Order: sequence, then structure tokens, then C-alpha cells
Amino acid sequence: MSLYEFLGTIEVGLVFGLVALGAFLSFRVLQFPDLTVEGSFPLGAAVAAVLILKGVPPGAATLAAGASGFAAGYLTATLNVRFGILNILAGILVAIGLYSINLRVMGGPNAPLLGQRTIFSGLNGFGVPSFWLTPLLAGAIVVTVKFALDLFLSTGVGLAMRAAGANPAMSAANGVDVGRMKLLGLGMANALTALSGALFAQLFGAADAYMGIGVVIVGLASVIVGNSLLPARTLVLATFACLVGALLYRFAVALALNADFLGLQASDVQLVTAALVALTLIAQRSPGRMGRLFKAGAR
Amino acid sequence: MIELSGIRVVFNPGTALENVALRGVDLTIPQGQFLPVIGSNGAGKSTTLNVIAGLVRPLAGCVEIDGTDVTNWPVHARARLVSRIFQDPKMGTCEDFSILENYALARARTAPRGLRMAIGAGLREEAVERLKVLDLGLENRLDDKVGLLSGGQRQALSLVMATAGETRILLLDEHTAALDPKTAHFVMELSRRLVGELRLTVMMVTHSMAHALDYGDRTIMFHRGRVLLDLSGEARDQMTVDGLIAHFKNDGIADDALLLG
Repeated sequence: MSLYEFLGTIEVGLVFGLVALGAFLSFRVLQFPDLTVEGSFPLGAAVAAVLILKGVPPGAATLAAGASGFAAGYLTATLNVRFGILNILAGILVAIGLYSINLRVMGGPNAPLLGQRTIFSGLNGFGVPSFWLTPLLAGAIVVTVKFALDLFLSTGVGLAMRAAGANPAMSAANGVDVGRMKLLGLGMANALTALSGALFAQLFGAADAYMGIGVVIVGLASVIVGNSLLPARTLVLATFACLVGALLYRFAVALALNADFLGLQASDVQLVTAALVALTLIAQRSPGRMGRLFKAGAR
Repeated sequence: MIELSGIRVVFNPGTALENVALRGVDLTIPQGQFLPVIGSNGAGKSTTLNVIAGLVRPLAGCVEIDGTDVTNWPVHARARLVSRIFQDPKMGTCEDFSILENYALARARTAPRGLRMAIGAGLREEAVERLKVLDLGLENRLDDKVGLLSGGQRQALSLVMATAGETRILLLDEHTAALDPKTAHFVMELSRRLVGELRLTVMMVTHSMAHALDYGDRTIMFHRGRVLLDLSGEARDQMTVDGLIAHFKNDGIADDALLLG
């Protein structure tokens, strides 16, 4: 792996750290298996790309992408909370619907950003090449979001949201509107995912209707790998573990694809992801050293 | 004060599983009264408690708390007025949260903190003060996860949480049923003490006839969705567990569940 590839992997791992934080919020905090992200990731990419193409400043376009993701998550939670649709099904319905919406937003299957100004394009000063600065900016954004999330989760509303996931009956008895917490939490989780999609599109110069495939597993894999290897006693550490998990996951995939003796090619990435997650979950169940290694942080 | 009038509850109406749980219950629990409630399984005592808490919506009738009609209020809205202790010690607390976080959550029932820090200034000191009363040493373990506590400790913590803030009404749902006899006695005595100190209005569902007569100011007995017996004053003072059993047998109730305890 060359230095260039190495930094590229870090870049992608950091951007997908936002997906991991979103998955942490929905799967772990709210105990809501949310599949909306398969649609909200490309939605964020599409919204950001189209707005940038229309001349909107890239920063504003990225924030708008986050807002679109919030709406998607809010819709999934509404289907579940107000209309009693099973949580997994509600997410699938919204993700499927978003596929068509994304095609509409982009007016086609993709929206190339080549030659457009993105939030990463101002980065060629300081005498440092841009392939060093891009991961630094991505890292700064992701770490800022992580600490903002930590801060939110320790407010009154944040504590109520965590309680709503951990023990719904008890939280309701303590005045927490569990339904409202799901609406807000899923909105936030998908805002993070859409933000990730928006950054990813700007890194790679295009939004694509198919870029959402497997995002839910990437997010979940990051949370599981991170929290298994770094069992966290506090929230601040748990969200940190998610980011580490996102990076490790990217490297595992990159190494698998790079290992010549495996004979894998780029299109095998989804297979590698699925195998990696399955192996991690199996390792958590197995007795002995491997099991202990992975079990510590898992529930 | 709690006022139930004409409460009718039917589960699965219009189906083969239709089950009339409450057949027009009228019940007034005055401010400051500690009311144990007994009855066999399916008699309607827990349903009545759930109607007050808001978990079960009556088909007909009206629920008033301190003069406010709360019949259509959801559970979380009623939480400001009513707190409850669950039968299962695991239900009343969040086991992945620290003791202090659990206390903060309960404290927010009457004083929500919105986007301010959940653990505000002075909360730790307040929690220490309130937990000291239990004499379990929990005040030194504020940052321990509640999952590390025993069932009795968790139920005692639940009591402290349910009586935090300005809530004036406490619902106890067989809250000692899952504990060993010694711990159950400790939790019952603690309940009596806290309720007395704070002059709370209490409805306590219990399967123990001894508890139903030993604790509180009045005892009622449910049978088949109605209040069958309402004892207070001298009639209650002279009633014994055997007397209760004899009374129930006269009414044709031969249910082993009533004889337990």
C-alpha cells in the first residue's frame, strides 16, 4: 500500500466515521435497527452535488445535505412511531422510496462534480500537498461532530434519548416522550449519514444513485468492530471507538482487496464487508481468546 | 387525590379474546392516603393501577388527578403528577446508566433540563443526601452502573427516584414481589417511611394480605373487575388475614392466589 493509498484509506475511513456515529445513535442508543441509511447516504451525496452544480457554496450545500438526511430519518421514525410499522420495514420503505427520489434529485443515475469547487478544493496552501490536507480536514469535521454528539448525549434531552432506547417503559414513567426521542434521534442519525454521503461525493467527484448499497453494514461493522476491540465505559470513549472501528474496517477491506493471493477485485468489496461482519459476530460468540477479545464491548 | 369514576376497561373488544377487566370502577383516594389493593389474578387491581398511570385507556369513565381530568393524557405527560415503581427491579432503572444518571433522569420528571447538562450543579450533592437515607452505601457509588446492584438495592433506588421532585402520587405495583422476604420487608419499611415523610398519596397493588392490612390506612379488594370490599377505620383494624380469607370464602372465591402471603 502506497502512502497515497494509505492516506486515501484514512480519508474514506474518517468520512465513514460519520456513518458509524449515526449507526451508534440508531442501533446502540435508540436500539432501532435503521435501514434508512441505504437511502439517506446517497441522498446527502445527491443533494450536495446538485446544489454545488447550481452554484451554492459547498459548505451550505453540505449542510443542506445533512438537513435532507434528517428529514429521511424523521420520516422512517414517523412510519414506526405514529403508524406502528415495524422498525426494519419502515427503514426499508423509506430507503427504497429514496432511491427514486435520488434519481429525481440528480436528474439521472449520477451527478459528476469534476472541476467544481468543493469544501476540499481550497486546500492547496501551507506548502503541504492536498492529499495530506484532505484527510486532515475530514478528520477535523468528523472529530468536531463526534464531540458535538457527546455533548448532546449528556444534556437533559440526550439522557432522555438514551433512556428511551435503554428502557422505554421506565423512561415513559419518568416523563420521556419515547416516540419524540425516536423521531429526533433517527433524524440526527440520518443527518450524520447524509453528511457523510455529501463529503464522500465531494472527495470522489461524483454522487451516484448506487453508492448507498451496503452503507448500513459499513456503519454497523464500524460500531461492532470498534466497540469490541475498545470496550468503552463512557460515552465519549464509545463514540471514539466507533471512529476507530470505521478506520479499521476500511483498512481491513483495503488489505483484503490488495492481497494478491486472495485474488479479489474492487467489485468484491460488498462480499468482503459481509464476510468481515459475519466473522466478527461469530468471533463474539466463540469461546476462548477470540471470543473474549470481541465479547468485551459487545452486548 | 385520585378520582376514578365509571371506569370500564375491555381488552380485545369485539374478538374471541374479549375480556372485561373493569366493570365500572368508582374509587376516590384522598390526598395523603396510603391504599393497599388486593385481589386474585385478573381481578382488576393492576389494570386499575395502569389506568391511573396512563398505560391502559378506559373504554368509558374518567380519571382525575388533583382535580385535573387526565383521562386522555399519555403516560409521559402524567409522569409529572404520578410516579410508579415496577414489580421487576430491572424495569424501574436503566442498568447501563450510573446511579447518578438514573437519579438525574427521575429528577427531570418534574424539572426537565432540555439542552442544559443532564447532571447539573448540585445534583450530585442532592443525590448523596437522598441516598444516605437508605443506609446502603449507594451514596458512595454514584458513578457505578445500576446493573451492578442487587434487586433490593435497585428497588430501593427506584423508591428514591420515584419520590424525587414534586410528584405527589406514587403507584406501587407489587414492588416487593420479586424480592426475598428479608429484602421485601426492608423495601416495605422504606416505602412506609418515605411515604410518611413526604405525605404522598399511594396506591399499592400487593398479593400479600398481611401487607395489605399492616401497611397504609385503608384496604380494598378487587374481584372480577369490581371493588368487592373497602375496609377502613375500626373495621380494618379488627380485620385479620384469616378474617379476610373467611370473608372471601363466603363470597365464593376459592382462589389459591389470595391465600398466599
